[in-house]
Amino acid sequence: MGRTIIEKIFAAHSEDEVAPGKVIWLELDVRSARDFAGANVVKRFRAAYPGERVADPKKTFFTFDCNAPANTIAYAQNQQVCRVFAREQGIKVYDVDSGIGSHVLMEEGLAFPGATVVGTDSHLNILGAVGAFGQGMGDVDIAFAFRYGKTWFEVPHTTRIVVRGRYEYPVTPKDLTLFLVGKLGSRGALGRAVEIYGEQVEALDMAGRITLCSMATEMGAIGAFLPPSEGLWAFVEEATGRHDFSYPTADPDAEYIQELEFDVSDLKPLIVAPPRPDNVHEVSELEGERVDTVFVGSCTNGRYEDIRLVAEILKGRKVAKGVILKVAPATRRVWGRLLKERWLEVLHDAGAVITHPSCAGCAQGQIGMTGEGEVQLSTGNRNFPGKQGKGPTYLCSPATAAASALFGKITSPERL
Amino acid sequence: MIKGRVWKYGDDVNTDVIFPGRYTYARMEPEEMAKHALEDLDPNFAKEVKPGDVIVAGKNFGCGSSREQAATCLVAAGVGAVIAKSFARIFFRNAINNGLLALEIPEAVDAIQPGDEVELDPEAGILRHKGKEYRFPPLPEAVLEILRDGGLIPHLKKKLAKEG
Repeated sequence: MGRTIIEKIFAAHSEDEVAPGKVIWLELDVRSARDFAGANVVKRFRAAYPGERVADPKKTFFTFDCNAPANTIAYAQNQQVCRVFAREQGIKVYDVDSGIGSHVLMEEGLAFPGATVVGTDSHLNILGAVGAFGQGMGDVDIAFAFRYGKTWFEVPHTTRIVVRGRYEYPVTPKDLTLFLVGKLGSRGALGRAVEIYGEQVEALDMAGRITLCSMATEMGAIGAFLPPSEGLWAFVEEATGRHDFSYPTADPDAEYIQELEFDVSDLKPLIVAPPRPDNVHEVSELEGERVDTVFVGSCTNGRYEDIRLVAEILKGRKVAKGVILKVAPATRRVWGRLLKERWLEVLHDAGAVITHPSCAGCAQGQIGMTGEGEVQLSTGNRNFPGKQGKGPTYLCSPATAAASALFGKITSPERL
Repeated sequence: MIKGRVWKYGDDVNTDVIFPGRYTYARMEPEEMAKHALEDLDPNFAKEVKPGDVIVAGKNFGCGSSREQAATCLVAAGVGAVIAKSFARIFFRNAINNGLLALEIPEAVDAIQPGDEVELDPEAGILRHKGKEYRFPPLPEAVLEILRDGGLIPHLKKKLAKEG
């Protein structure tokens, strides 16, 4: 019987029989923890394995991104607990100056096509963008993965999605992503892997692939996997310096639990209204609602291409009076490129406040939260009540965020 | 065997309401965590929950972040099991790894009301409620083994000692 993409990756990392529903032991290429939960991982490790070593320090990493640099003493303490443990164990720390851990893992070539990666980030399945299996887990799981280099995992069934047609700008990969989240709903792919195919998917650049894979969690999915694309190979070769990866692809006779087909030829810019990510509407339905704060960044839309697009839209203009535009590039590398190409200057001139690379507004970390009644438009991935503060949060594309920042109200980028 | 009183909730109970993000570093001891379990969903829960009580919920219980506190705060509060129509997968494994029984018995959820008594035999795959028996497929043996040993770390310790 043929295998799906996730089954291919698992079979290459397990001696157990790989079939949906089976619990297997999975070898892990990367075991990581963030500053969120990292200290608890260390505490668990020290309690369960006193005096012992991690299985392989070369495959074990800390990535600090939630509260970077720390703005509470509690976070600073927890980061320091991780650093001390890392020194003892010879583990590399991507410290508070690095950016979003999942993106750093891709940029550094640690997550590569076919790799298996775990960490304490529920959006780590974003690594599907490079054809890797990524999974967010809790403290016990990660402490165990640090110690033994493997984890238990139930092989999921896979849903196959085919996207027909092409869309045109100002419709963007985020709109495609929100469209699928809306169609599937928060549990449409619960506990399953999804594979997403189609001409439009194959045309995505790396930033678009990241955006699409970043919201698999909001569909309840274990992860989303895509066919390879040109943008992918350029990225992977730069990140790893290698040209010899074989991308995991599904066999023609792979078995799927469900097959879905959607057409995106008529797709319009989309927006998620409170209180949850599957509450998807066309931007035009909500146009005119007041906006106080606009946040551009997060693992979903914090790439160079995302932020440059916002800068291009805002070039020579100013955000509306009273609107705060917050920008957080995903990583130090993205930040540096935007700086050197002077896009940060464009954003500054337009009135934006720019912060260091991190999860920023998405993780109750940096660049501020919202107060009651403060309406936020975010390019992030979740808008559960309380996640980003007391105010209501809408989710949209960088283009919609920029257009709305200009007018101080929800505005479709079609109007630009 | 688990016997307890039911706390009933709806669909999509997310980790932000099971254990608020603002406490993830501020409240790290089990007794402290127990005091805030489900605080933003049901303020009475932490005050009134008794050891062995069972949470019964709808679809996608535990969706949202990977924070393990969402499972450990329920363990700390003495919850005997969570029964749901379905679980978000990260929550499911956090529960199992911490020795918290998490069972998908969709056909029983609608019949069970808040405050009812239920009895669970996870090994046999039986749920008893008001004289009615619901059969459910027992969890995979590998998962039951982890639960019997009280979680992933004690389970592997025991296993390695045996192989040792």
